[in-house]
Amino acid sequence: MPKVTIAQNILAANETVAAEIRQVLAAHGLRAINLMSSPGAGKTTLLERTIARLRGQLAIGVVEGDVETSADAARIEAAGAETVQINTRGACHLEAHMIRAALQQLDLRRIDLLVIENIGNLVCPAAWDLGEDVRVTIVSTTEGDDKPAKYPQMFAVSQVMVINKLDLLPYVDYDLEQVKRQALAINPHLRIFAVSCRTGAGLDAWCEWLLAFSRQEEGKQ
Amino acid sequence: MHELAIAQSIIDAVTTRATECHATRVKGVRLCIGEASGIVIDSLTFSFAALASLDPLLAGAQLFIDVVPHRARCRCCAGEFAVTNFVAQCPVCATWDTEVISGTELQILEMEIETSGKDE
Repeated sequence: MPKVTIAQNILAANETVAAEIRQVLAAHGLRAINLMSSPGAGKTTLLERTIARLRGQLAIGVVEGDVETSADAARIEAAGAETVQINTRGACHLEAHMIRAALQQLDLRRIDLLVIENIGNLVCPAAWDLGEDVRVTIVSTTEGDDKPAKYPQMFAVSQVMVINKLDLLPYVDYDLEQVKRQALAINPHLRIFAVSCRTGAGLDAWCEWLLAFSRQEEGKQ
Repeated sequence: MHELAIAQSIIDAVTTRATECHATRVKGVRLCIGEASGIVIDSLTFSFAALASLDPLLAGAQLFIDVVPHRARCRCCAGEFAVTNFVAQCPVCATWDTEVISGTELQILEMEIETSGKDE
């Protein structure tokens, strides 16, 4: 019975599509961010605040991933960004072919930065390259301060970590320094921002970085 | 739960290759999965068997998995060490200036096929 060598990455098909997306974005001079977190950490809220703060300076196009509903796309559109909603109907992560299809509906000439909001999940999205330049993982103070240690792969594959809900620190047992230590032990190159989307604390630094990143003044690491 | 999607990717790749080889049946598939790839082996085996059973070409195909340990090399002392819980700190120098050398693999290595009788 013959053995046939295959020797290919299991996700090769996804990676081929991700490479296509990168080419399309590069042709438009666009960079892309893959925004990931557990459900409820504040992906959509961070995006809303960011879009509002950078209005007039940065036109953000958003691909919004959710299992069901277009509620988040409506929020993002109300904030003033061009948005395409993807509903995965049960799938726990976005895949590159979904992004390729979504990009057909976005006018890439009219945006300066693409943000892909992944499905709320700290495990599965880590494996799928969506053609992004940078992966940003959000954690929040209400989730417990052990998330990097418990879900290390997500932090290992990210370049940026945003700690959200700083305003709730007085009410929760959350050791901010421990979270940073854990995350940096897994990924010493991680860039960290601590913010409160509710009070606006820390959002200036985040927006400044995002602006520089979208203008390609900031490296990918 | 993304093991189901991973299993589907394996089946797609194997089916393409098996068709090219004029296989009548795929008897086994060998994978190489890194410890740090985020894959739960039992879930993947279960998902693969469930999806393979739907396809006459793959029904009953065995999945063989070589698990690769998560290891890193220190850039200071050049020593190699096992990475525990994704923390790649050199146990000798205590530095984080290290590089992961294995454990993130997600590869299909080979498959065993039957062709229309003459190759058996």
